[in-house]
Amino acid sequence: MGKVKMKRKSTRIDMTAMSDVTVLLLTFFMLTSTFLQKEPVTVVTPASVSEIKVPDTDVVNVLVSPKGNVFVGATGSIAAGDDGVFWSTDTLRRVALQLAVSDFNAKTGKRVQLTEPMIEEFAKMNMFGVPIERIPDFFAKNSGDRDDWLSGKNVGQGPLADVKETEVGIPLTPISYTDQEGPKETNEFQIWMRAYHNAGSDMLTKAMKSGKGIAVKADHNSAYETVHDVLDNLQTIHMNRFSVMTSLKNLETE
Amino acid sequence: MAEIQQKETGKKKKGAQKKMDIHVDFTPMVDMNMLLISFFMLCTTMIKSQTLNISLPSNEKKENLEKTNEAKDSEAVTIYLTTQYDDDHNVVDNTVFYYFGMPYVEVDEATGRIGTPTSESKAQGVVKAEKFLSNDHGIQQGIRKVLHDRNSEVLSRIDELKKEKLRPGSQMTDEEYTARVREISKDSTISRPVVIIKATPDASWESVITTLDEMQINAISRYQLENFGGMDSLLLNDFLVKNPEYGQPLR
Repeated sequence: MGKVKMKRKSTRIDMTAMSDVTVLLLTFFMLTSTFLQKEPVTVVTPASVSEIKVPDTDVVNVLVSPKGNVFVGATGSIAAGDDGVFWSTDTLRRVALQLAVSDFNAKTGKRVQLTEPMIEEFAKMNMFGVPIERIPDFFAKNSGDRDDWLSGKNVGQGPLADVKETEVGIPLTPISYTDQEGPKETNEFQIWMRAYHNAGSDMLTKAMKSGKGIAVKADHNSAYETVHDVLDNLQTIHMNRFSVMTSLKNLETE
Repeated sequence: MAEIQQKETGKKKKGAQKKMDIHVDFTPMVDMNMLLISFFMLCTTMIKSQTLNISLPSNEKKENLEKTNEAKDSEAVTIYLTTQYDDDHNVVDNTVFYYFGMPYVEVDEATGRIGTPTSESKAQGVVKAEKFLSNDHGIQQGIRKVLHDRNSEVLSRIDELKKEKLRPGSQMTDEEYTARVREISKDSTISRPVVIIKATPDASWESVITTLDEMQINAISRYQLENFGGMDSLLLNDFLVKNPEYGQPLR
């Protein structure tokens, strides 16, 4: 019998094609992805059959944690509005912060001073929840510690050590002031909402008026009382049309 | 593919370098790409949250609204929401209490509690309890059935419309269908319920949203969220004392 000659084959696999495919997939994911927005508190929204999607642009997000801490954040436009003015998220946040602080100063007689770096840092924040009076202290923290503080970690440390965990967020404690029409009452949440409304972005103001521009997000387990505080405040400032965030529930599969 | 073939041409010169085939190994490149892909896959949100639109009456107009409610007593459905929690503050169950029209508040002298109504019409106003239940093989249960029955006129018309749409050869577009459904649910010539939702302070947010959701499911166009008042807590506590299986009376 003749010997069968085994041909030696190289074990090398050509990876070029594989690399092509992975690069394509990568490109797809990079282009389609929208990143998870960083939020101080993770909330699980209740399910509903509503099919209206939450808008990406021109929206003020109100986040209510199960413990009742309130956070507010806003997203601007991606294109110029009908009036031809382009309000990016960055500009919107900058203007709103200055408006809110000056409104707060006018109503309480306090003198909260903002610096350019503070405004810069604020514009990068997705969700904000600090008593206005303590904003300078908040930005005195390291940027890493700020997010921790908002999510209720290491609350008793560094600047703002005197603020308790339950006091993190935008306070709903009433502020009394007097204007031409006589004594009135407001609170910081109302000041913030008005600041975003009056910031000057035509698109956002319209969206807020129609109710699409205000999205309230609350945990499904939190008591109605906590959410009601926020809803009641929205009602007081005539923002009685708004949307609440829910996850999708399929009626057919029930 | 990733090699560059080089032909051996000519004679070998003395001192010429040995020719090698250039072969690029793509394995690390693929490894890196895979890592990046997994990063993007894990960090993206493909599903967007849904939103539910709510419009509340403005604070000043509340008094007027209460007057209009009284006028349409027969159509009113009042809903109370309560939630039972376990020790870790997780929702165990949500209960819905409801009555139609005006509440029945005649006190029985002997017990000091709200008595048993004597007539059919008064029995409408007695507080009853239900649960949130999903459909059982297409049949409504729980509070959905109660609301479905109250709004049966509107819903039967919508059913007819749906049949018409699904009939072979039907020209109806989706937009037309939703427009007509909206028209039916807002038609003031048919009797439609007015649902007043009052959540107790302890009720979970989930129960409020589920109730609002039931309004959508049952095509109820007139509903509103209202504050839970003293009268409501009296009524509810009376019911809870009589039926302790539905939870502790409120503080």
